[in-house]
Amino acid sequence: MTPMLTDELKKGSAEFLILALLAAEPRHGYELQKLIESRSRGVLSFHVASLYPLLYRLEERGWIAGRWVEKAGERRRRFYRVTTAGRAALETQRRSWQEFVTAINRVAGVRYA
Amino acid sequence: MPESTYDWRTAVRARLERAKLAPDDTAEMVEEIGQHLEQQFTELAPRIGAAAAREQLLAHLRDDELEGAIARKRRRAKPSRARVWSSSSLLRDVRQGIRSLRRSPATVVAGSAALALGIGLTATMFSVIYGMLIKGLPFDEPSRIAIVKLIDPRQPGIDAPVSLGDFAHYRAQQRSFETLAAYAMATVNVSGGDRADRVEAARVTSGVLETSRVRPALGRIFGEGDVDPAAPPTAILGDALWRDRFASSPDVVGRTIRVDGRPHTIVGVMPPHYEFPYNTRLWLPIQRNIAVVAPGQGENVLLVGRLRPEASYDNANAEFTGLTQRLAAFRPAADSNLHIVVLPFVRASINPRVYTLLYGMLGAVFLVLLVACANVANLLLDRAANRTREIGIRTALGASRLAIVRHSLVESSILAAIAAIAGVALAQLGTVLFNRALVGGSPTPLFWMDIRLHPAVVVFVIAVAVVASLVSGIAPAIQSARLDINTILKDESHAASSLRASRLSRTIVIVEIAVSSAILLASGFITRSIINLRNVDPGFATNGVLTARVTLTTSDTVRQRAFFERLERDLAARPGRSDVYLGNALPGSGWVDHHLTIEGRVYPRENDHPVVRTLAVTPGFFSTFGVQVIRGRAMASSDRSDAERVAVVSQSFVQRHFRNADPIGKRIRIGSEPAAPWLTIIGVMPTLVSASFADPWPPEVLTSFWQQSRFDTGALAVTANGDVSAASILRTAVASIDPEVPVYATESMAGVMRQPMRFFEIFATLFIVFGITALALSSIGLYAVMTFSVSRRLREMGIRLALGATAGAVTRMVVRQGVWQIVIGMAIGLLAGSGLVRIARAALFQVHPNDPVLTALVGAVLAGTALLACLVPARRATRVDPMIALRTE
Repeated sequence: MTPMLTDELKKGSAEFLILALLAAEPRHGYELQKLIESRSRGVLSFHVASLYPLLYRLEERGWIAGRWVEKAGERRRRFYRVTTAGRAALETQRRSWQEFVTAINRVAGVRYA
Repeated sequence: MPESTYDWRTAVRARLERAKLAPDDTAEMVEEIGQHLEQQFTELAPRIGAAAAREQLLAHLRDDELEGAIARKRRRAKPSRARVWSSSSLLRDVRQGIRSLRRSPATVVAGSAALALGIGLTATMFSVIYGMLIKGLPFDEPSRIAIVKLIDPRQPGIDAPVSLGDFAHYRAQQRSFETLAAYAMATVNVSGGDRADRVEAARVTSGVLETSRVRPALGRIFGEGDVDPAAPPTAILGDALWRDRFASSPDVVGRTIRVDGRPHTIVGVMPPHYEFPYNTRLWLPIQRNIAVVAPGQGENVLLVGRLRPEASYDNANAEFTGLTQRLAAFRPAADSNLHIVVLPFVRASINPRVYTLLYGMLGAVFLVLLVACANVANLLLDRAANRTREIGIRTALGASRLAIVRHSLVESSILAAIAAIAGVALAQLGTVLFNRALVGGSPTPLFWMDIRLHPAVVVFVIAVAVVASLVSGIAPAIQSARLDINTILKDESHAASSLRASRLSRTIVIVEIAVSSAILLASGFITRSIINLRNVDPGFATNGVLTARVTLTTSDTVRQRAFFERLERDLAARPGRSDVYLGNALPGSGWVDHHLTIEGRVYPRENDHPVVRTLAVTPGFFSTFGVQVIRGRAMASSDRSDAERVAVVSQSFVQRHFRNADPIGKRIRIGSEPAAPWLTIIGVMPTLVSASFADPWPPEVLTSFWQQSRFDTGALAVTANGDVSAASILRTAVASIDPEVPVYATESMAGVMRQPMRFFEIFATLFIVFGITALALSSIGLYAVMTFSVSRRLREMGIRLALGATAGAVTRMVVRQGVWQIVIGMAIGLLAGSGLVRIARAALFQVHPNDPVLTALVGAVLAGTALLACLVPARRATRVDPMIALRTE
């Protein structure tokens, strides 16, 4: 993929990605960044200035909720989890993404990786 | 700093600094993002090197997208009800309020200036009331210091006398007071040394000084030995007397001071500013064995004391009423309805009329403050109307109504806070001016009066400012909160949404005009009174006349007469030769009321005798004061003790008692006692003014100074053409006859005439300031509302003008709108004001409370000012360029 396309896709799909990652279990910001980077094998990458605005936006929308958690032997960290509204939004996005990919496949005959 | 670590939190904090977030929001972000960067750095540094890792992460931090995060975070304030009043969001509102007010400096200046005027005036007035009436005596537990006085229902305002014997009865039987004492005020001659002085003294029983619980600065206070009739007389000096006469000598105790010619041993000196009970400079003991004085006997005294801690005023009143009933047997039957009251000292010492006047004026300044608040309310309403869209959007974004209300209240509070500070400064100025006006005036200021910005006054100002901010902020606040979001967001023009606001503004303006009409009407009448007082033709010359007073130390009438005869001769013989007047008092202020008996008339009861004002004068009266008799002859030097007793009466006297018939040769008697000598009327003079509000031109009788039986005190006057040394000539003349006799109250006759007006003038001036302030504020208010309404209708004006409306028609239309408010407001205000004037009738001088000319004049001034306030914006409306007007919005 060209860098431009990556950026465009990233913008549209970033929220979706974060919701999906948080749906499994609550995570903190750094962990999210690492996960996105490793799972996309370096194609997608976030840094503080791009990640946190997203998190705050999602939190404001009420899809995720951040909470300071103290674990034994560890420092206090802010963990985000998906709210009920967030889960509903994730479902909708999954569905429409699915439809989008299917449609692209039908039109362009591209195999989804 | 080692290469492997870096303080990321500081970096993040620095990055967020510009965002001006709430402190706890910033702290959270710093922690979260800092942590993130720290961890990333630890992982990255070993791979690419610490320097490169730091560079890379700092570059991320600099990314513009972070701004978005910050902005988002800032706007995240979801108005949960609990958070609306939290301190951090309140702080944010205050900051936002300051920012938004900074964008409209005109509002801030106009609003806080109006409030500052209102608060400043209110605080000044409150300082006066606090220092005079509330603060009380500067002594230990002042609220328990009480005055006991006998009230005669037949003579309201004048206390009936209590005799020393009655006091003995009260003191022996009462249980309410821990100390109860009696005193009598006297003006005495103090002599010895280089000059003689008139000094205010209190003759006291034991207990007066104890009541105040103030210890003497030197020596001791009076004990039982001092009141013993057989003991040598003693005295206690006030601080001023000690400084003036004894140069603050520390060994003054034991020395003697001559009081009314008798030597008194000084036993003590009181501390500075101590003048208890009233403006006292010298204390002398009443040397009598009080226990043996029978009720009703002995000199007249005043009672003062300190209540026991457990005794209430109610209890004391009940007890003294009982004691007084037992005393009734010793009184004349006519006095059976006298009743006694126990009152707090300050409350009892202030003339009830002054008391009412002061609180009335506090009420008046609150009205001025109300006008100021109304102005600020209008300013804020205007702002609110201009911001309907902003408020609509805020509401749409989730701001609760409470938050919107609070925002408006915060703005008015900021204005009130600025105004409070300026108001305190104004009040400071006000109290300084007030004190300056009182200095040297008459009556002498009460010694406990301490008018300045006491902490209580500052607390009062804060309370007033809070109330003012609520009063002026609540209407705009509610107005904003009531706005319907849908209407606002749909409506592109402001017309519909501001309609309600402007209706409210107009109501406020009507209230403003009404209040200021009322105040202005009252101050108009008071101004008229002052002008009348100043311009009154006294009927005698006051310019170029120097006056003074003397009081003789001797009671021997032969020597008294000899003194005055020589004084008249010496003064007349001095170089430059001028007119010399001697009398028992001065015209204008010194008339003495007496009952009158006219020969041949019958007076069944004592009170049927008419009252006349009298003055005993030498023939020099007529030349010194330029008074010419109209009929008959003036007093002559031949009218002496051995000649027929004579009187000159005023025209008012002739009108009142002789129905303008010729009174010459008729005989009258001063007083109602048959023993008083008959006086033959020898002349009629024009009526002279007398310093009295109620009856400035009363029936007057001049008697002959030389035909008096006693000459204890005298007034003298000489014509002195701008001669400044005249006062010293008077002093020298008196001193060369008898150095023990003090010459005092030297003043020009014009000054003597002004004295009684002084207190009135101070308050009248204050009242006029209130009136003008109120007028200015309400005109500004009207102007603002009219300007606002014209600016809202620029489009409409443009269309009208474009369609051919004349400028005159547009002006008329705008003015008509304002005229309604003026007419309604003035009608209400003038009605209320005339009620106010009627209540204040006693303060009017030669003005009828219904004076139509004055009412019309005040109405015209008001209407004129108000119309001007309308006309300026109306003229502006006609100059609208239709094209420009149509293009806006």
